[in-house]
Amino acid sequence: MARAKAEQQQPTTGMTLIVLVGLAIAFLLFMAFLNVVKSGNILNETNLLFAALIFYAGAGALYLGFGVTGTESYVKFASVSTTLGVIANTAAIAHRWYESGHPPFSSVYEMLLSFVWTLAMLTLVVEKKYGVKVIGTVTMPVAIVGVVLMQLLRTEVHPLVPALQSTWLHVHVTLAMLAYAACALSFALASMFLIQDKMKSETFLAVTSVCTLAIYASIVATRFEKWGGLSLVGWNPEQKSEIFISKGVRLFVTIPDLGWLMVLALLVVAAPLVCYGLARWKKDDSYVTLANRAVFLSILLQVMALIMFLVRARDGRYASLDADGLFPTSLAASPFILSGLVGGVFISLLYLLLLWRRPDLERLLPSSDNLDRITYKTISLAFPLLTLMIASGAYWANQTWGSYWSWDPKETWAAITWLVYAGYLHMRITRGWRGRRAAYFAILGFVVVMFTFFGVTYLLPGLHSYA
Amino acid sequence: MAGDLRKIAHKLWRTMASIQTGVVLLILVVILAAVGTIVLQRPVTEPDEMQAAYSAPALRILDKVGLTDVFHSWWFLGLVLLVSFSIVAASIDRFPNSWRYFARPYKYPDEGFRRASHPQKSLTVTDEEAGLVAAERALHSLGYKPERVVHEDTFSIFAERSRISELAVYIVHASLLLIFFGTVVDGLWGWRGTLNLDEGQTSNIVEVRDGSTRTLPFAIRCDAAGQENYKDGTPKKWWSKLAVVKGGRDVQKKEIVVNDPLFYSGVRFYQSSYGPNGKVDKLLVTAIPSSGSGTKQELGLAVNDTVSLDANTTVRFAEFFSDFAVQDGHVYRKSNEMGNPAAHLVVTSKASGKDFDVWFPEIEGVAENSKAPYLLEATDLKMGYFTGLQVSHEPGQWGVWAGVVLMVIGLAFVFYVVHVRFWVVPVCDPKTGKHSLWIGGSANRNRDAFEERFNDFVELVGKELKTIPKTSPSEKVVVVAGD
Repeated sequence: MARAKAEQQQPTTGMTLIVLVGLAIAFLLFMAFLNVVKSGNILNETNLLFAALIFYAGAGALYLGFGVTGTESYVKFASVSTTLGVIANTAAIAHRWYESGHPPFSSVYEMLLSFVWTLAMLTLVVEKKYGVKVIGTVTMPVAIVGVVLMQLLRTEVHPLVPALQSTWLHVHVTLAMLAYAACALSFALASMFLIQDKMKSETFLAVTSVCTLAIYASIVATRFEKWGGLSLVGWNPEQKSEIFISKGVRLFVTIPDLGWLMVLALLVVAAPLVCYGLARWKKDDSYVTLANRAVFLSILLQVMALIMFLVRARDGRYASLDADGLFPTSLAASPFILSGLVGGVFISLLYLLLLWRRPDLERLLPSSDNLDRITYKTISLAFPLLTLMIASGAYWANQTWGSYWSWDPKETWAAITWLVYAGYLHMRITRGWRGRRAAYFAILGFVVVMFTFFGVTYLLPGLHSYA
Repeated sequence: MAGDLRKIAHKLWRTMASIQTGVVLLILVVILAAVGTIVLQRPVTEPDEMQAAYSAPALRILDKVGLTDVFHSWWFLGLVLLVSFSIVAASIDRFPNSWRYFARPYKYPDEGFRRASHPQKSLTVTDEEAGLVAAERALHSLGYKPERVVHEDTFSIFAERSRISELAVYIVHASLLLIFFGTVVDGLWGWRGTLNLDEGQTSNIVEVRDGSTRTLPFAIRCDAAGQENYKDGTPKKWWSKLAVVKGGRDVQKKEIVVNDPLFYSGVRFYQSSYGPNGKVDKLLVTAIPSSGSGTKQELGLAVNDTVSLDANTTVRFAEFFSDFAVQDGHVYRKSNEMGNPAAHLVVTSKASGKDFDVWFPEIEGVAENSKAPYLLEATDLKMGYFTGLQVSHEPGQWGVWAGVVLMVIGLAFVFYVVHVRFWVVPVCDPKTGKHSLWIGGSANRNRDAFEERFNDFVELVGKELKTIPKTSPSEKVVVVAGD
């Protein structure tokens, strides 16, 4: 029934969207060019980056357009756009490298730049070499979010304190991003395997719902204040840093009523899961249809929550339970909440893509055997990268604090991540695990990566938190 | 009895060497490590934070079981040892086979092997030698070094590449053991501590982590230290100019910053912090005779310094309070932290023999600032600074870094270096007398990609065959083995 509804929603033909996107790209490039002609140097790094962003955005729009309409030609043009974006991105990195005399590792901006480049490159590689033409639907939006976040946060970032000024730290962070990009890719491929392996769409529904539920549950559990407010870390705009009351203790401000919105979103996001549970329990598939309808509502609520969060957290001064007076906050003060909210919307949209376009996806994706193999190959890349990441982190810690391993939660969870992927490789190479079991293991690995990256800083008790 | 013991020992060995055991042990390590990140750990967490987080009975149980210091508990270390042992056992168990594979290449595939081998192809040839030559040429062009293997009365061809790949996995596991070994050495013989030096101070006593002190066979002197800030006041850089003093001489000098330690005789000194040491460096004072006539003098006094203002009068910096309180006309030290500082100077007039108590700030009931023969004004209070150094001795870290390098090499071999073998065997069908060339290949990884390369190789052999002029059967060379 949901499919029938989706068929009715095809408004435009293929060429129209392509022409529209092409025009938009041309327009934006022209505006940028006008702007640039004023300042002189056309091929400087910022403009190249902007061009890259425009191309990635165009690619992302076309991939998502494919998601809505199923027109295959979108994918071809999206690939072209991605390639152009990579060229611009590479030129930007090369330019910066040449100008500064060192590789682009020495600031948060540069590292995000490298991450986005890696994501786009890997997209092209997986597309061309392994034939997974639709991988861009997942990676390009992430690249765009990365670049946008970069722009949003760039002016907010504080120059580095002494401990963070080491080359090894930047090598470590770049390796981490490369490793995480490879892990994310393996996760996407393992999920695609499950699609090709005929895993039921309802199962994807349940998992998506669980993920979004986990995001909102974390937010509500840790930041909901008594009278319905949401607490965020205070931000000092002059010093461009968090506000501390005393050593290691942050000041939290409470945005009124935002907490209620998060709770509401939590309940609505749980609804598809509940319907799914009912469908399994009562063995009645009509609940599944209800669940799919609930997904639309969940997306609506999530977008509302995101917009309200963006609006309220960017401006305004709020009261704090910790001190008298009003204090400002900023998006830069809550990168994890922001990432969680955006990520939730993104996962839900991906589920819709699956729901509407499953037969097209199954047609466009390689066979399940191939996807299984490619997942293994991606993890073969991710695992050495993880090893190098941990090693460089240990070396940096040794140079800075005199100890290469202190069982810090971040370190410990990085080691756990490494062990999980080592487990995957052992099970596959030595025990011959293939197919579903291997895919589940790969997905588990990525869940652990997510926890290491977000959960340790955000959810674990006490202890110093740094990115 | 002995037989039973042997059986048990054998069973134990099989269990330790099995992959199942390894995986179970790893899962246990993961769970315990995860617990160690969720339960607050000592000594990183302050005792009062621990008490605030858990109820008293809960904390007692956690402490007893060792969950408040998981990574140093005996059962966690024992588990890691078990993992190491299982790696060793599994490696020993499997190594002989892999070594056989590595040391004794399988150059001639017998009939049974040929039947079961995959991938394989057969090409029809008119004579054996042409076939062999074609195969050799094809292998040469692919970058292999084929060799002719004598078998009974014929040759066959064998070519391989990267045999070391069969042992790659052992390199990885050996590297892991090397890393463990390094950490164990550090755990047993390494130590860490702190050393705080005031500017100009020399010391060779380190306060070790566990509370004890350690005397080094050499001393460190801090010649200067400082802090640079960003425009908004937050720290940008801490630096210290250090000198190593041994036998009365300066044997090494270095200016260190965070991330760039001083290394001497196996010990590393890291710039860790910088701050006021709570002691006064100098109090800057101006003095004018209270009579009004005379020049203004500018003095800098350290605690207990005495300076003559004129032939008759001296001033001494008697006391410094970092945080003072007044009660009943008496000044007390409220705390040792910097709070409300007060300086007590004594102006002595030799002629009258009188002492005047001058206080900054002018504390009521105690200060006699206006009565003193000189009017003193405090212009600046320069506090002393200390530089905080972290000191560590980690003899085992070389094992760790060597292990890491070895592991990366090993992983590169495991994933990207493939042991490829090609066999070419001329076969004569006894019934029909037809000659054919049996071609087989094997790769120990990426078998799917190898199949493509194998097919390309067979095609290449076919092409080479066509370029070889056919010889008549009578000219065929008969090869006799064992010459």
